[in-house]
Amino acid sequence: MFKYFLKRFAAMLVTLFLILTLSFWVIRLMPLSIFENPDISPEIQQKLEEKMHLHEPMVVQFGYFISGVLTRGDFGTSVKIRPGMDVLEIIWERVPTTMILNAASLILAIPLGILAGTIAALKRGKMTDNLISFLIVIFISVPSFVFASLLQYLFTLQWPVFPTLYLTHASTTGQIVASMVLPVIALSLGPLATIARYLRGELIESLSSEYMLLARTKGLTRGEAVVAHAFRNSLVPIANTIIPLITGIMGGSLVIEKIFAVPGIGGLLVDSIMAGDHFLTVALLMMYSVTSLLTIFIIDVSYGIIDPRIRIGGGQE
Amino acid sequence: MIVDRDHLPQELADLPEELFVRVKDRPEMDQVSKVRADSFYMDAFRRLMKNRVSVLSICVVLLIIALALLVPQISGYGYTEQNVKLKNIPPRIPVLEKLGIADGTRTVIGVKPSALNNTSRYPEGSVLKVLRTYTVSGKEACDALVDMYVFAGVPEGKYYFFGTDYLGRDIMTRLFKGTQISLLIAFISVITNLIIGVVYGSVAGFYGGTVDIVLSHLAEVLDGLPYIVVTILFMLLLGSGMFSIILSLTITGWIGTARLTRAQYYRFKGREYVLAARSLGVPDRNLIFRHILPNAIGPLITRTMIAVPSAIFSESFLAYIGLGIKPPEPSIGVLLSSGQSVLLQYPYQTLFPAILISVLMVAFNMLANGLRDALDPSERGRLQ
Amino acid sequence: MMDSEVLLSVEDLVVSFSSRDEGLVHAVRGVSFKLHRGETLAVVGESGSGKSVTMKAVMGILSANGRVESGKILYDGLDLAKATEEQMHKIRGCRIGMVFQDPLSALDPIMKIGNQITEVLKKRGMSSAEATRKAISLLRDVGIDEPERRIEQYPFQFSGGMRQRIVIAIALAGDPEILICDEPTTALDVTVQARILELIKELQQKRGLSEVFITHDMGVVAQMADRIEVMYAGKIVEKGTTEEIFFHPAHPYTWALLGSMPDMETRGRLEAIPGAPPDMSQEIHGDAFAPRNPYALAIDFEREPPLFRLSETHMAATWLLHPKAPRIEMSESLRERIRRMKEAADEQH
Repeated sequence: MFKYFLKRFAAMLVTLFLILTLSFWVIRLMPLSIFENPDISPEIQQKLEEKMHLHEPMVVQFGYFISGVLTRGDFGTSVKIRPGMDVLEIIWERVPTTMILNAASLILAIPLGILAGTIAALKRGKMTDNLISFLIVIFISVPSFVFASLLQYLFTLQWPVFPTLYLTHASTTGQIVASMVLPVIALSLGPLATIARYLRGELIESLSSEYMLLARTKGLTRGEAVVAHAFRNSLVPIANTIIPLITGIMGGSLVIEKIFAVPGIGGLLVDSIMAGDHFLTVALLMMYSVTSLLTIFIIDVSYGIIDPRIRIGGGQE
Repeated sequence: MIVDRDHLPQELADLPEELFVRVKDRPEMDQVSKVRADSFYMDAFRRLMKNRVSVLSICVVLLIIALALLVPQISGYGYTEQNVKLKNIPPRIPVLEKLGIADGTRTVIGVKPSALNNTSRYPEGSVLKVLRTYTVSGKEACDALVDMYVFAGVPEGKYYFFGTDYLGRDIMTRLFKGTQISLLIAFISVITNLIIGVVYGSVAGFYGGTVDIVLSHLAEVLDGLPYIVVTILFMLLLGSGMFSIILSLTITGWIGTARLTRAQYYRFKGREYVLAARSLGVPDRNLIFRHILPNAIGPLITRTMIAVPSAIFSESFLAYIGLGIKPPEPSIGVLLSSGQSVLLQYPYQTLFPAILISVLMVAFNMLANGLRDALDPSERGRLQ
Repeated sequence: MMDSEVLLSVEDLVVSFSSRDEGLVHAVRGVSFKLHRGETLAVVGESGSGKSVTMKAVMGILSANGRVESGKILYDGLDLAKATEEQMHKIRGCRIGMVFQDPLSALDPIMKIGNQITEVLKKRGMSSAEATRKAISLLRDVGIDEPERRIEQYPFQFSGGMRQRIVIAIALAGDPEILICDEPTTALDVTVQARILELIKELQQKRGLSEVFITHDMGVVAQMADRIEVMYAGKIVEKGTTEEIFFHPAHPYTWALLGSMPDMETRGRLEAIPGAPPDMSQEIHGDAFAPRNPYALAIDFEREPPLFRLSETHMAATWLLHPKAPRIEMSESLRERIRRMKEAADEQH
């Protein structure tokens, strides 16, 4: 078990190194390189040239870059968005907003998804199930940014209930919540439907399993058997959907933050890509990589803890 | 009914003698074997066609493909044809315009009432109705319903079904041209992924041993890379454009297919018929194409069908974050994101691409679901 | 045996399933049988013959799309076919228990086996300690070593045979008087099978259980049953005591079942039953077995045969028993086989 985690952890480090390497080459080889950019002031360019050790061979430059990242967490300086500012500083400012947005979406999506999936499975084949299943397909199929547009149009133009864009100078909690509502809904519909679909499938399978029959014949009521056996068993594989869910929400929040002008790192990434602020872009991408890899790692570990078949392992199979 | 042989009810005792002769040929038996001989894929196809949702999805997909091919040819506008004078014209559609929907009008807000009479700004007949008049900081202003076609001087009888964008380009033409491009990106990347995945998985699955270990580990490392990060990095490296998008969608896109193909090999490798064929000296090539791959086709089809909508999604996603295809080429994503930026002023510019992408995604997903159900009939047997 | 009290009586039971693809499937088409106190009744047939469905109907655990169309299931003055969920709840587990085919899928994979036994005991008002004590003694009864330690383990930590023992312990936890065994040994190795069968026999004697034993394996039937009901396509085609069915089978389907049973001498020349069972979503004309019956008569395709009484206990539904039918006997090899079985049985007595 412990060995398994070590292996997973090592694999994660290898992946991060790969991304870092790739990022370096992107910075150096990209068309429209920062170093020929007339928009950047000569001082910053000079600073950059020193920093990047441009006179050295590429491999040495790569070494400097890696050691800078590893020892000082130095990803370089912003050249466009906030010229001259350390990119990590820019990022840290914006992390909380994105974290709140993503966490709120997950917190909304998981229980509602479980609820919808459970209802659909228990009412299998009935109108309720058909309605939920139809909504599931819609929410899974239609991209979050289309929902974002729809929500923005409906609730800020037609019925102006919520602010169109994020209130950057929101002072009261109410204002912050109000400006978060639409982005959170737009982000959570897809994950909600994903969980609901998965749980519905799992639960239907569990409900028709032999252990449910045994639970019924040994004298549990249907309700007791569903809660104690079918539901518990279908929740275990849900962990599988949580990983793509979180990475999905993180990806989705790029566009959603942009649409609602949420001052988070998603919108920042889009801005920096569009502006060609490559150090910032790379640092943000690293940030995304670390977060999503850590999430996967944590979920893998907890999955092992939840399921006795993995936790105890082997047995007499 | 229980009867005693010695005291049969009269009716049974009277049954005619000729009913009690042995029947030698039994036609029903042959029927049974005929049904069984039907191929699995014919069966799957029949099941698919019995599913009304799947049939509807197929029709919708085919309709959209047909529109994507036809509309840019026959709309009468070029998809890059600009006309700055006719920018942001609202949609006007024959028949519907009579109902007050898509009639080419817009409510203009806060104009000076005197300006409405100025025929050099508001040509004769362009102002249909003054909706309300009010005073803003001491000045008189009014809202008016304006026929934008007359206002902009669109020639009589000319229609922009979906309106025009900020450069006066016909949105309908651009949308269906964009659909063409989006679908092309999706199909090419999906097929490329399919080919790479099947070949990679076949090599790993067929040879096994060290080859398999090396290939599987390589795939695992690649698969560990977060999808969004890799895609963005490659788009940055390659620059925007159709080719870059296809390439960045194939970097990690084939891994799932490869894994699935490899698993099929391991599933079928031990089966008797494969062992038998091998011991009879059937060459590897034949074994793969005649005996193993056909069995993998079902799950591969389902997988590929699910990959199409996610490729369409990825293209739009990239367009939104500024890494789409090069302007002035349209794609669904490009139109959506440029519409989004003027959503509150000209909602119709978002409306049509949004409807199209939603319908397309729903149809593809429904079709994929239907295919999965048709190809994996195990649910059917679960009656009792 | 026949004089003893009738415990459970199924009368003309019809069960059907509605399915989107195949319409209405008539899985059980008029089944009647009686279970007497203390006896083991075997219900024999191929898969899909409706034997499991009949028993699920008795337990009131048909899947959502299944429904008892008509008929009665009489037990303890109650018609279970019409019983409410509350009434059934009082019967399941404490009056009638059930053991399933695949012990791995019958146990909840993520619940400790101790909890799987005590869970229902606690629901019935037993204290936690008392329930655990009872679980341990039940596990000991079914032959699990060190039950004190093993109640803390999960199903995957047990072998197939052990799992089936646990399932039996669970089924017996409510001290039922009837035990329904649905192919309890099919998923197990041959050696394990024999031990589980012995265990079931032993428990039956100890606890005075009445059993319904569902199987497709005539070998198992020979060991376990007092009486046998042979089912085909949702109907009982022959019924009788074990001796009657094994030594004087009258229905061609029973002949086929006996012919397909492996024994020492006939190894390698088993007679498989040709063809497949009929499609139960279609209306069946005449005798359902006719298309697969090598001795089929013209009337088999026209009219369903009644049950012809052969003795007080023995009945068979085949037109071959009609006085006007040609004299058709079972094949020589089957006759030979039955002779050998008789000899073996005589030796044992």
